[in-house]
Amino acid sequence: MKTTGWRSLILYIIGAGFLAGLLFFICSYFIQGGSWAIRPSNAHITNDGQLAYSGEITDRDGNLLSYSRDGVQQYNDNALIRKATLHVVGDPNGYISTGTQYAFRTQLSGFNPITGVVSPFGNAITGSNIRLTVSAEMSAAALQALNGKKGAVAVYNYNTGEVLCMVSSPTFDPLNIPADIETNSNYEGVYLNHALSSAYTPGSIFKIITAAAAIETIPDLDSRTFYCSGSTVINGEKITCDGVHGTISFQNGLASSCNVVFGELAVELGRDTMTKYAEQLGCNTNFYLDGNPNKMSAYHVEEADDNALAWSGIGQYTDTVNPYHMMILMGAVANGGTPVNPYMIQSVTNSFGLQTKTGKASNGRQMLQPSTAQRLQELMRYTVSNYYGDGMFPGLQAAAKTGTAEVGDDKIPTGWVIGYSQREDLPLAFAVVVEEGNYGRNSAGVVANTVLQKAAALYT
Amino acid sequence: MFSSQVFESALSISMFVLRILVPLLSTVVLVRCFVSLKRGRRREEPVVLLEDLASGLSIPVLYWENSIGRSKSCDIILPDSTCSRDHAVLYRRASGWIITDTNSKAGTYVNDKKIKEATQIIPGDVISMGSSRFALRRVSEGTVIQQKKKAKQPKISNKKAPSPTGLLGLTSVIHLLLTVQCCFVGGSFSAMPFIPFAALLAMSWGLYLISRKLLKRVSFEIETFGFLLSGVGIMLLCAEDFSLIYVQLASMFLGLCLFGFLIWFMGDLKRVMKARLWIAAAAIVLFAVNLVIGTEVNGSKNWINLGVASIQPSEFIKIAFIFVGASTLDKLQTAKNLWGFLGFTAICLGALMLMKDFGSACIFFITFIIIAFMRSGSIRTILLVLSGSALGVFLILRFRPYIAERFKAWRHVWEYADTTGYQQTKVLMYAASGGLFGVGLGNGYLKDIFAGDSDLVFGMLCEELGLVMGVVVIVAIAMLILFARNDATRSRSTFYSISACAAAGLLLFQTCLNVFGATDVLPLTGVTLPFISLGGSSMMAVWGLLAFIKASDERTYAVRRKGK
Repeated sequence: MKTTGWRSLILYIIGAGFLAGLLFFICSYFIQGGSWAIRPSNAHITNDGQLAYSGEITDRDGNLLSYSRDGVQQYNDNALIRKATLHVVGDPNGYISTGTQYAFRTQLSGFNPITGVVSPFGNAITGSNIRLTVSAEMSAAALQALNGKKGAVAVYNYNTGEVLCMVSSPTFDPLNIPADIETNSNYEGVYLNHALSSAYTPGSIFKIITAAAAIETIPDLDSRTFYCSGSTVINGEKITCDGVHGTISFQNGLASSCNVVFGELAVELGRDTMTKYAEQLGCNTNFYLDGNPNKMSAYHVEEADDNALAWSGIGQYTDTVNPYHMMILMGAVANGGTPVNPYMIQSVTNSFGLQTKTGKASNGRQMLQPSTAQRLQELMRYTVSNYYGDGMFPGLQAAAKTGTAEVGDDKIPTGWVIGYSQREDLPLAFAVVVEEGNYGRNSAGVVANTVLQKAAALYT
Repeated sequence: MFSSQVFESALSISMFVLRILVPLLSTVVLVRCFVSLKRGRRREEPVVLLEDLASGLSIPVLYWENSIGRSKSCDIILPDSTCSRDHAVLYRRASGWIITDTNSKAGTYVNDKKIKEATQIIPGDVISMGSSRFALRRVSEGTVIQQKKKAKQPKISNKKAPSPTGLLGLTSVIHLLLTVQCCFVGGSFSAMPFIPFAALLAMSWGLYLISRKLLKRVSFEIETFGFLLSGVGIMLLCAEDFSLIYVQLASMFLGLCLFGFLIWFMGDLKRVMKARLWIAAAAIVLFAVNLVIGTEVNGSKNWINLGVASIQPSEFIKIAFIFVGASTLDKLQTAKNLWGFLGFTAICLGALMLMKDFGSACIFFITFIIIAFMRSGSIRTILLVLSGSALGVFLILRFRPYIAERFKAWRHVWEYADTTGYQQTKVLMYAASGGLFGVGLGNGYLKDIFAGDSDLVFGMLCEELGLVMGVVVIVAIAMLILFARNDATRSRSTFYSISACAAAGLLLFQTCLNVFGATDVLPLTGVTLPFISLGGSSMMAVWGLLAFIKASDERTYAVRRKGK
């Protein structure tokens, strides 16, 4: 009989398995319960795939951007603001996956692990309210300045990390969804937030990365001179320049965006050094905005010959960069080499009035030596003041670099501008890209100036 | 308008409070049931004594069945080289003490006559084994020597055990709270749920009166436990669709009859041991009938349509399986190999594989492991069986890869949310929607999903009554292994101990398959959740299995003495 006593301990093996499984399930519930429950097919919370009830999304000034009642998604009264903030807020069908409505649907729907998706009081649950760092008015100004062109605008405060403006075009009015949205080529890519989820050929703005590599690697860089005859031959093929710059220093080479200088520098630095610095400055890695990853910038010269390497150093070849990444890079330059991580969610406030999440400044990974950042600040400011002219950014003390990226034989180039304001009361870094914008200075530059002037008017 | 809103809010809040109360009270009942069972357990005191006639010292006889021999694993160890390792078994039946020789070399003698079969002895009789001679004595007649260092005695608390009436009363209160919630399904009041409540009340108190007053049984913990869980299941179904509960209630009644019958049947172990062969044969015939005339439902051919009702024979064969596997100590000591039971298991598993009922096959297999280990104690045998079956599973998957396809969605259910992961994603989604205290009886949506009230019922339980209640219910089922272990050495025979442990292990493993299958911790196999799932066969079989655990409580077959 006593043997059956100890042999019955075998039951504890099953018991232990049961407890392990139960613990695993309960932990999963508390960690993932929200993402299990908040599904378009959950009949408790949705009505035809939309959140039946959700908290409010407001901009930094308290302007109401969106909420839903009885299964109907409501938006701001102003059509321009609706269109300008669409990619930040989200569309009624949840196609824009990086939009706040979709990415924060758990919080907006009011799920909590204690009461699930229902309220003990019997009334419809209202989820948390979300305040964004984004400015609706700046967004509207940015969209207007894009003037119907496809592109993206990203602006953030490089001291605090608050994203003030993130606009993507094409866009549409979520209250009047165009009937031909799936067929009209003007709406191609409309569900992507191009600032976060697209990458473009950079053109001359990539020279900032090549310049950073050169500053940190070549000791006598500033005492050197280069010679530009309008082109140079590398590995049997020409690298052409937009101008004939003659004998030229590194500083003026960057300011006048001389292809010969940066093509030769890229070859001199070599594949490994160029790749090392491109990656240190954020290519081939992801950046995140409140948990949403960006589209990675890509720099790959493993297969490139010297001529292609030269083109890669001036932002052509296979290079692609992401506007959000470029904005962070500018933040790093402005901030002495280490960027503050951007965020867009200012606060999440639940239905009891408690803030469950607040955006805070946090440092990202160091990208540049402080001395290099300092040198790039001088160079980019010099570029604006001595070449573009401060008339391009009146009163903003801007440091910037434009780009005009060739994207194919018969296509109009992509216009770029990246930079930041050195005004202490306007610590903003920006990246603007305009498809078919041609010269960056005339396309993206105008948009950037419009948005920053709006910011200066609103917040200083 | 305003007052109706206030009314709705008040109703909603009251329902919420009830949903918090139900798991709380259920926990109280479960814990008190267990405490009551612990307190009711007999102390490890000698029942009779064996007086060593050479030394005059007495050896205590502690159990209802005692193995005697040279082996360290024997209950009474004889330090005598002329004895066999397992020499004899001394056990008690209703008629008195019986000794039987278990194929010893030297033989066993009672009053100097060699015994050939089980022989009844009375105090004063002299038993000789090898060169040892003992006289059977009453406890009052001898001085006890301690065979080993003083066994640790469980502390007996002076507190009174919880009253069985109080526990069943509290269970009825829990049922009432659930009934009230059922009455307000859909926002308007209906008195219909009081019909199943009345049925539950009648069945539980009916059995209580029969058991306590008529049969004079002391304990009622296992029954209370079964009523509590069955009631939760029935109220869950009542809120879903009132028409479902008639069959469920009828099955519960038949289950109670089966429970009573099995306890009576197991009262005579001689009868049980004789009937085992017939039970095995009947089980095999039932499987054969199922395979020939069975109907296929959702890919498993495990149903027999009887016209008025469909039954699932494999549920009842679970009971037969335990009967065939468990054994009394004297039989265990004489027939040590497992071949007969192994063969029976192979037939059962083969039949279930042919029916494509993999979930039940797993349950039978685990039950086999438990019984085999409790009979042989041989870890080597178990490892051999496990590695053999692992090889079998490997070969099946190697040559029938489409079986593995069935489990492809496991741990990836959201990727297969439209196909093989559909049910699991719905369970996770709706279980999480309920939070800790549920959305309220009848307010769930999982009941509209296929098998929501059977294979996926754990999700429905969590959605409507909350995760806390879901956990209380399954932890309650897990506690059955504590109930079974509690009586493992105290029962009147190893037959009861082995069958109780097998039944508890079976129910817990089935619970694991159901709960973890539905929630994607394990692959989904489609078995029922004991007590809760919709299904008449399952409900009846669960009460049948409870009978094993009830029978292992030695008080079940004791008659209360007058005046106590």
